[in-house]
Amino acid sequence: MSRIEENIEHLDGSIKFEGISFLLIEHLDSLRVDEAQFHEAVIIDGKDESFVRQIVKRIRSHAKPEVYLKPIFLLKGVNIIDPLVNQLIDGSLYSLEQIPYIKDEVEKLLASIKEIQFSRAISFEAQMIVKMISFLHSRHKTLLEPIPYAYSDVNYTYPCLSVNFNHTEEFAVFDILDQAVYDGIFTAEFVDRIYLCSQCSNGRMSYREVCPKCNSSNSSTDDIVHHFPCGFVGPMSDFKNEIDDELDCPKCNKRLRHIGVDYDKPSVIHTCLNCSHKFQDYFVKAKCLTCSHDNSVEQLKTKQINRYTLTQKGVYAALNGYVSTSKDIDEIIGTVKYDTFRTMLKYEIERLKQTDGSSNICAIHINNPNEIYSSIGSEAQQGMLKDVVRIIRSNIRSADVIAFQDSSTIVLSMYEIPKKIANRILDEIINILERLMKTAFKGVQIEFVTNVIKLEQTISHELHLHNLTKDFT
Amino acid sequence: MHDFLDNYIRFLTSLSFNHFVRLFWFYIFFEFARYFVLEFIILNFVMLRKYFERDKYKKAKKDLFFEYPLISILVPGKNEGKHLYKLVNSLSEQTYQNIEIIVVDDGSDDDTPIIGKSLEKAGKIDTFLRNEVRGGKASGANLAFRYAKGKFIVHLDADCSYDRDAIEQIIIPFYMDDNIGGVGGNVMVRNYKESLATTLQTIEYYDTISIGRMVTSHLGWYRVISGAFGAFKKDILDNIGGWDIGPGLDGDITVKVRKLGYKIHFADEAVCLTSVPRNFKILAKQRLRWDKSIVRFRVRKHRDVMYPNQHFKFSGFFSFVENIMFSIILNVKWYFYLGDMLYNFPSAWLAIFFTNILLYTGTNYLKYILYSLYRKRKNAPMSYFLIYIPCMVIYFGFYMRVVRTIAHIQEFLFKKSYEDPWNPLKTSQHAKKMGL
Repeated sequence: MSRIEENIEHLDGSIKFEGISFLLIEHLDSLRVDEAQFHEAVIIDGKDESFVRQIVKRIRSHAKPEVYLKPIFLLKGVNIIDPLVNQLIDGSLYSLEQIPYIKDEVEKLLASIKEIQFSRAISFEAQMIVKMISFLHSRHKTLLEPIPYAYSDVNYTYPCLSVNFNHTEEFAVFDILDQAVYDGIFTAEFVDRIYLCSQCSNGRMSYREVCPKCNSSNSSTDDIVHHFPCGFVGPMSDFKNEIDDELDCPKCNKRLRHIGVDYDKPSVIHTCLNCSHKFQDYFVKAKCLTCSHDNSVEQLKTKQINRYTLTQKGVYAALNGYVSTSKDIDEIIGTVKYDTFRTMLKYEIERLKQTDGSSNICAIHINNPNEIYSSIGSEAQQGMLKDVVRIIRSNIRSADVIAFQDSSTIVLSMYEIPKKIANRILDEIINILERLMKTAFKGVQIEFVTNVIKLEQTISHELHLHNLTKDFT
Repeated sequence: MHDFLDNYIRFLTSLSFNHFVRLFWFYIFFEFARYFVLEFIILNFVMLRKYFERDKYKKAKKDLFFEYPLISILVPGKNEGKHLYKLVNSLSEQTYQNIEIIVVDDGSDDDTPIIGKSLEKAGKIDTFLRNEVRGGKASGANLAFRYAKGKFIVHLDADCSYDRDAIEQIIIPFYMDDNIGGVGGNVMVRNYKESLATTLQTIEYYDTISIGRMVTSHLGWYRVISGAFGAFKKDILDNIGGWDIGPGLDGDITVKVRKLGYKIHFADEAVCLTSVPRNFKILAKQRLRWDKSIVRFRVRKHRDVMYPNQHFKFSGFFSFVENIMFSIILNVKWYFYLGDMLYNFPSAWLAIFFTNILLYTGTNYLKYILYSLYRKRKNAPMSYFLIYIPCMVIYFGFYMRVVRTIAHIQEFLFKKSYEDPWNPLKTSQHAKKMGL
């Protein structure tokens, strides 16, 4: 055994080498993605492509930078050709013995990640932009290239952004990228144009030539024949006789001899076998393979596919973690800034050390923000959050404070009351919120999850907040 | 000038009745007798007949709307895209709406395909068909006809527009008489103010089409269902195989329908507006084509209407004779008259000429004013044309006569109609070889 191999320490589900801990993921069911944050890097056993894709997507789409920026390496069992995976991993190795060779790379990545400061962006767009640029910057990339991708519903993927969306809502990446360009984070350069379903914005379509009258694609085609001597014009079938293969004019009974001399074929005609309509030009229809809507090609939504380059402003934003977009949520009346909330929490814990009171902090988290915000849009998103705050505010005491941790997580204080009552109040709030959302956003299923923790005098305010939201994905 | 007037008055006062007939026989027996007296008498019969058949007309209209058959409107043409929107608009306004519009683009090299396809897509045209290679007007019409599903076929020109009840009016005659095989519409001039040429053609159309065809239709001699607006029973067109190669295919198909024993009718209330040639040069080209086709189709292709065989019909015979008589022989006779006057009365030719002008102008005014009372539908104020009536002597008497003479010479001697670029050579050469 070489000296290097001696230094590789195999633990349960992880490997340690010279102080660097690698989370080793071998099975899908063994993964708790959150665990990644307690290791310096992740190694995925690449036994099959779909397994690798799932793991990579779960890590890179995680809400916490401690997880989504984690260096990922692939232990190559099979050759992975999925471009999304290849773009989102940081390297590969053929056996665990090669870990020492990736050590430098891991350290470099960790150093880059460490440079990045994170502030809580409230708007969904801003959060996505932060994720995207912090990933690019940590990988020393300035170019965001679109990649033609078979698994994408919009035909192209921007790996570090598209990974945050499931395939049915992938078109939302365009709005976010447009926003980033508008805010000066990226510059855009044309690459291609795609066509999306007018109903569901999906790009997977079946293009067919159909009858202009009934939209059936069941048709036959015949040449039009013009007989010069008598001027008769009709489909080839009119000229075919039943006795031999010769062509005879049905008007003057003359035999057609020589194309260009006594007859020609000036055009073709299609006959719809469904409705018998005769026509010369098919309509082209695009049937959406997701929602089955039959679009005429003129109806299709077009979207420009660009190559994006990070600007200096983008680099600065990535380093300082501050992204404020024009779609950012303004301070919502009834809330305080998250930093203020933290400071107040710190003082409350200090106060509890002097008294014997019982105080709590609570969190309300929207479990499926990507799905909701991409379907309702940013205007409605602001309205929805204002409604949520208004309802919470009307159900808690005026001394308690509310703050946004991000666009999907609201934290609030419930000081000086027992945890049991805090739980009850929170249940009541969720009950009202669910009823309101059902009425206001029909067809959108909003999932709320909550947590209440009692403040402990011995635990720091940072750990309280971590514990409060650690189970939210 | 004074001497001329003195001499002229002396000439007029010395004219006896016999002398007058000898000097103006051409005017008296042909122009005045045929084109005024006979026409005027028949016109009154037409009006009387219309009056007595008013209940029959009402019933026919009721029957048409009760049966409500599909009418196929065929619009063949080359480079007519610019007219299509106006045309389909006037058709969408029709009182009779069970129509299918089939437009054939015969190898256009402008935006016609784009315009046609977009109108088809918008549902303004039922079928738009395009021949990538030009085949001529007949092939365009035949292609449209091949895919027509209607009981009646209406042939239109794309550059025309139609009165709101034009389609209804052109179909009603079929319900008045089962033996009617084809109906011609009343073509009027839209651009009558554009130039002197268009103004004179408007007066000509009032006379020869609006009134002239009422008369010939009544007599059963009506010979050309205009391609701009004509209707046929579909089964009859099936029988004759549609249109033959032009130019002059509208006159040709009328004869073919008549040969089958069907009547041809003129519907004066089925009004179509068309734009006529705006200068005399273009007009001459058009009329050369028309006049050559009279020789080609009447004298050559369909001369068999003269023969007393099993298909012989007196109406067809008279239509033929009337057409030959007044289009060709009369033209020759006019030269004969000119020679007669110059040879026999050389000293009085100026007075004869001047008198002829006065006679023709007087007749033209008389006809114009009288006939205006018979025309129900007027698309221009009557007074507008009054000052142009004297020009009609030059227009009809000289310009048209010269054009007609050239056309007849070209066609009789050189068969020039087969070289007319109006029809592609590939089809014309076959027609020439087969004597069609």
